[in-house]
This record gives sequence, C-alpha cells and structure tokens, in this order.
Amino acid sequence: MRRVETDILVVGGGPAGLSAAIAAAGAGARVDLVDAGAAPGGQYWMQDPVAGATSQQAAEGSTAIASARAAGVAIHSGAEVWAAFPGGEIMANDAEGPITFQARSIVVASGAQDRVYPFPGWTLPGVMTPGAGQRLAKLGKTAPGRRIALAGNGPFLYAVAATLASIDATPALLVESGRARAAMLGLLARHPARIAEAVSLIAAARAVPDWRRGHVVTEALGEERVEAVRIAPIDERGTVDTARSERIDGIDALLVGWGFRPMIELTALLRCRHAYDRALGGWYCVASPSTGLTSVEGVYAAGEVTGIAGSRPARLSGTLAGLSAAAALGFESAGMEERRKGLVRALASARAFGHALGRLAPPPDGIADLARDDTIVCRCEEVTRGEIVAALAEGTRAVAGAKMWTRAGMGRCQGRICGSAVAEIAAAETGTSPAAAGFNPPRIPLRPVPLDVILEATRGSAP
Amino acid sequence: MVNRADAIVVGAGVVGAAVAAALSAAGRRVTVLEQGVPGGAVSGASLACIGTHMMDEEELPLLAWCCDAWAALDAQAPRFEYSRCGQLRFLKHDGERRSAETWIGIERAAGLAPELLEPDAVRRIEPELTGPIVAATWSPNSAVVNPFLAVRTLLDAARSGGAGIVAGAAATRILTAGGRVAGVETAVGRFEAPLVVIAGGPWTQDLAATAGVDLPIVPRKAQCLATVATRPVIRTVVGACKAEGGVDAGYTQIQQAASGQVLFNTVLEGGVTAAGGRDSVPEVDRAFVHDSVDTLLFLFPRLAALDLLRSWVRYEAVTPDDRFLTGPAGPDGLFVAAGDGGTGFVRSLGMARIVADRIAGKESPFRDDIYRPDRFVERAAA
Repeated sequence: MRRVETDILVVGGGPAGLSAAIAAAGAGARVDLVDAGAAPGGQYWMQDPVAGATSQQAAEGSTAIASARAAGVAIHSGAEVWAAFPGGEIMANDAEGPITFQARSIVVASGAQDRVYPFPGWTLPGVMTPGAGQRLAKLGKTAPGRRIALAGNGPFLYAVAATLASIDATPALLVESGRARAAMLGLLARHPARIAEAVSLIAAARAVPDWRRGHVVTEALGEERVEAVRIAPIDERGTVDTARSERIDGIDALLVGWGFRPMIELTALLRCRHAYDRALGGWYCVASPSTGLTSVEGVYAAGEVTGIAGSRPARLSGTLAGLSAAAALGFESAGMEERRKGLVRALASARAFGHALGRLAPPPDGIADLARDDTIVCRCEEVTRGEIVAALAEGTRAVAGAKMWTRAGMGRCQGRICGSAVAEIAAAETGTSPAAAGFNPPRIPLRPVPLDVILEATRGSAP
Repeated sequence: MVNRADAIVVGAGVVGAAVAAALSAAGRRVTVLEQGVPGGAVSGASLACIGTHMMDEEELPLLAWCCDAWAALDAQAPRFEYSRCGQLRFLKHDGERRSAETWIGIERAAGLAPELLEPDAVRRIEPELTGPIVAATWSPNSAVVNPFLAVRTLLDAARSGGAGIVAGAAATRILTAGGRVAGVETAVGRFEAPLVVIAGGPWTQDLAATAGVDLPIVPRKAQCLATVATRPVIRTVVGACKAEGGVDAGYTQIQQAASGQVLFNTVLEGGVTAAGGRDSVPEVDRAFVHDSVDTLLFLFPRLAALDLLRSWVRYEAVTPDDRFLTGPAGPDGLFVAAGDGGTGFVRSLGMARIVADRIAGKESPFRDDIYRPDRFVERAAA
C-alpha cells in the first residue's frame, strides 16, 4: 500500500486548494494535494482534457496547476479522501487502490456543490442542476437540451447562461427568484472592481429571450422527461404565490439550483466547528479570517467550505491558509508577514462582496414547501415529503430524527442532496430553525469505498 | 409550564418506549421525556437481534417470552421490518465445538431448539456463506427488526394510549417530596408525576444519582459498519460462536437489513468503556474497521467489491453482571430499567413487563430478582 508522509496535505484542487498548495510549497514545505477530479482545477478552473483551455477561466486554472507543479506540489488526481482516523492518518483511494497520508497539517479546500430543494417533477429526466449543466457544456461542449430553462437564484445562473451561450445553447428561459436590482447596483457601487465582470454576466442573462425575475419554478411537467415548467411569482411577503402560476411549454431541459452548499464532510469528520447561515449556503466550517485555521489544531480550511463567497475569496483564503500552515510548521520566508497582512485585508473585502451577493438572493422562505406530500425528497432512499412530515408529527425531530424514522439521508449520497430540504422541512414542522435541525454528521467512509480497498488500507497497526 | 401525568418515562429508546407502551396499555397517562431524538442514541445504533442464542442461561425463560412478545407485536403492528430469519454462529476452529455444544445443551434444556450444523447444512440455510468455517450453530427462533421503526411502533402504541412524547427534553434532576418521587426537572421545564421510570441507557446513573441512588452502569463503546444496499445476499443473522470469557471476549454480528444494506461488526477484544464517550461519540477505530471487514469477507468472499457506506459508534450501558437493573430504586415511586449490555432490544419488552407488573402490584411471570437494581449494594455489604 502507498504511504505518503508530508508536511501539508491539501484536500481539493480548485482555486482555494491550488492557491494553498502553491503558497505552502513556495514557503518551503513539502506539499501533497489530493483531488477527486481526473485533472485538478475543480469546478471553477475546470480543465477539459480533450479541448484544453478554451476559456479565460480554464487558462487561469492551467497556469495555477503549472505553478503548483513547478513549486514541487505532488498532485494526486482521481483520489477521493474517505477517512480521517485519530492520529492524523488521512486515507484516500484512486484507481490503483488506497493511499494513506500522514501530514503534519491539513488544508481542507473541499469546495461546494449545488444546493437543491425538491419540487414536483424534479426527478424527471432532463431536470438537473446548473452546475451539472455547466459541466456538460464545459467538458463535452454538450448542450443539456435544445430549449433550456435555467432557474433558481444567484449570479452563478448568469455564468451558466454565458457558458451555454459559448456553445450556442443560449437558454430559452431564465427564472430568477431575486429582483433586488437597486441593492445589486448599490453593492457594485461599493465594489467598483467587480463592475466589468457584472456587466458581462448581466449581458449573458439579457441574451436569454424570456427572463423572469421574482419567479420560481414550482413544477416540472412531462411524461418520459421534462416537457414544460410551471412558474409562479414571489409576493411582497417573499413567499411563492402558487395561485398566480403559469405554464411554459416546449422545455426539454431544466437546470435548477439555489446557489451552493459548502462540502463540509471532511471538516465535520475532523470535528472542526461549523456554523449555519442560509445566505452562505447553510452549514460552513468556521475558519479564522486571519489564518484560515479551524477550531482544530493543524487543520485549516479555505474557499467555499468556509461559506459560499466565490472564486476570488477562494484564491485569497487558499493562499492565506497555505502560508499560515507553512509558517506554523516553521517555513517562514522574508516579507511573509507583510504579504499575509495584505491577504487578510483583500480577503475581508472580497468575502464581504461575496457574502453580500449571497444575501441579495437567498432561496425564498418556504422553498422546501414546493414539494407535495407525494414528492420524493430523498432520492437515494425514495422518501417522500409526506413520510417525513408524518414522522415529525409522530414525535421525532431534527434532521437526525427524520433520517432514523424515514431513512431520508441514509442512502448512497448520505444526505448531501436532500439535507438542506430535510432541515427546512423539519424546522417548519416542529417550529424550530434549520440551524437547530442540524445536519447528518459525516462518518467514515466519507464516500462509498469497496470493502477490499478498505481491508488493504487498514491492514497492519496504526502508527 | 407544569405538565402532570400518572407516570414519567425518562428516555425514548427501545426500553423507555416499551415501558411507556406497557404503562399506557395499563391505563396510565404517561409522559415520555427524551433528551435528543426518540430512538436516536443507543437503540437506533443497534443491530436489534431478537433471540435466545448464546445468551445468559438464567435469563432464558424471559428471553423466550420476549421473542414471542416481539412476534406478537409484529402481528399487531407489522411496520418495523420484523423478520424471523434465524441465527448462525460460525466456528472457525474445531476447538470451538465444545463451547458450541455446551450452549446447545443449555438451550435445549430450556425447551429451545438450536443445533450444530456441518458446513453443507449451513450453506443450505446461508448459500453465500462460502468461507472455510468448520461448522455453525443454528438457532431458528432468532429475528431482526428495524430498530428505528421498532421504537417508533412502541411509541405509537404508547401515544394511542394517551401518552405524550417530549423530544429535546433533557432530564436534569429527579424531584422528590416527603421521601416520594414528585417528578422530573428538565431543560424545558418541570414535569410532575408520582411515578418515574428512568430508562436512560448509559445516562441513567447520572439522573438516578440526583435521587441518591448509586447505579453501577458504565458506558461501553460499540461500533458498526454498513454497506450500500445490494441484492439479497445474507438471509440470517451470522455471528461468531461465543467463546470462553463471556462478554469481554468479543463478538461478531452480520446481517442484511430490509433496505438491502449489509450491517456488520467484529470486535475481537471486547468493547472499551469510557465515561465521557457517550456524549461526544467518536469515530470507529481503524483496527475495528479492519477486523470487521476481514471477518465479513472471510465468510462472504463474494462481497469484496461491495462498497462500504457508513460507520457509527454508540455507547451501550453495561452492568457488572451484564444484566439489566430493573425495578424500584431509592425513593418510593422511582424505578429504573437500564443496563442493556448491548442486547437491550430483545430484553426491552421483558423489562417493560417487569416494571409494569411491579407498578400494578402484580406477580411477574418470570423471576425479577436477578434484575434488582440494589443487588450489587447487597453483595458489597455481604
């Protein structure tokens, strides 16, 4: 079995992870980076193995990957971390089997995934997340459909519209819950450096022939696959007014998502402290704004896992965490302290922008109520909203209780997909908050791993 | 807010739920207090085997009654995935035959029907058990249940008898007045009743201590693994033949849930007790993961490519003689029912019966002296 001893293990090869690895290796530390993707880059700096870097984002990513390699970072692609055992052993496995890392410090830059809420018809073929649609467009230059509806909230929708436009697949319909135009302009006025980017994103949205602000998709309709969507406006109180719904036909792909949720599985397994903020994606790992250190000694967190804020704070927080982790191990270089101070200031400003953007368009209240009693909430175990509501009425409570009594969150994805919705349903049904409803605590293995791989990985005694 | 009831049950695990159901059935208005989620601590993490095989000889009559009581509950409310699948205990070495035969003799004398099977016969019952075992014992009366749904079913029975269930109500103190129990103080207010039953698993001794009752309960770490759902592979409950050394000699339990997930564990050296562990449940041990997977694949080598999905840890309540502490304790009106020793599921209905009979002033159908909560105090004094 492969065993790697290193100074700093970086988990995640997106902007945050690569930035952390470059900074730490540049300071003189031995750095290993594990990433689940076939190539590093993550979702934002996604590398197309066939077409190469065809966008500015991909080009930035390939530069970062080259810098990391030049700095001596050992990159382990296609490797998923599945365990952290007491004593500091981190286990991953790739196509060749298990790899065990023994690191002095760890930087978790595990990123984010699309946040989804169930609604009638969301399990129909042709319904996917904006992130999945963008991945198809970026990697295979494949359009998810011919008449695409893009729905949910946040600026990411505009970015997906732009990506789709770049492969001649401009969406037919954009349904956006937010309508805070004035607030958006005010935010941009405070962050003028972001105006150019905003203008280009808004242009992508404008190119969509039918752009509905202040609306949500309440239902996907179709027999074998999605054929139409039903949309409804959000009223003055911020709730979805289903009485004024409207059906839009001729749709063959629906990309719907509500921003992102931080992927806290590893930081939670490592027992780092977490906090809840719906506008930052729900549960996120708490990290020091001046070092990136979590509540656990030797464990740093950077990027979206510390709260959804976008790629700029991800890069800055990655660099900061990488430098801080290296410095804590004694790898200090001249001018490092000054550099860190500058990073802390830049990060605070970039995060403030990202967080403000998140607060402009959170998912509407009661979004989990779009699901009807017979709508499946947990797709892995096929648990309906009605079953969850019945269990809560019979005396269980919280995400943990809903899981135990109905199996919601007990399947292959371990609640990564349905977790936000189950928490909001549990909160609404028992008169508490989604934060109080908690989350499904991750346990070993973080991802399903074959038994024979586990047998080999755990052979022999721990150090 | 003051809540009044005829009886308070502290703990909504399988024991508390069973006690609440029994008291409700006897016409009492019951309030169940649960600090977390009903069934969410020790019970929910259990592999919930209902059986008599290789258990305490003195408890066999009660265990046999419990097996029938669970079957009766299933007949009445078939919603907890009860399956009377039988139990196999494999022998890895010929040297274990004597131990197996001793157990079989004890159980046959109690009117039960276990037998020793050679590998061919084992494979007729469990076709994919292709590992090189030398023999296995077979106990046909064993069953498994879904632990969450079983607790839910019992609580549902209690509720239909008028019981109220308060989740998120951590009991902090037993209230007494004039030498009698008066109720329970909790994090969410005061609950009053002339009868209180503490069924709090490894938390029982702390609450009992507030009424001056000293209970020798220690939390012991127990761990488990689950694979992703797969086709039907394992039909029975498969365990290791219980060796010399009793509960501290380790154990194996392997079964496939109705969901298709294979649930399994192997502990070679017995569980570790730790007082603080129950409140900050840690991860599984690396060696435990290895031993468990090793044993599963020794028996069922075709599962090698199956994905492991999840692990979990619970802290069960252990007593010095591995029997429950069940019955009256301390001030009048206070009862306890705790000390599962890792096999609380099967015994919960019997413990509930003992408590309900005692409260009703009825004679128990089986001996309850072996569960008396003060039995160790007397031994120490002697």
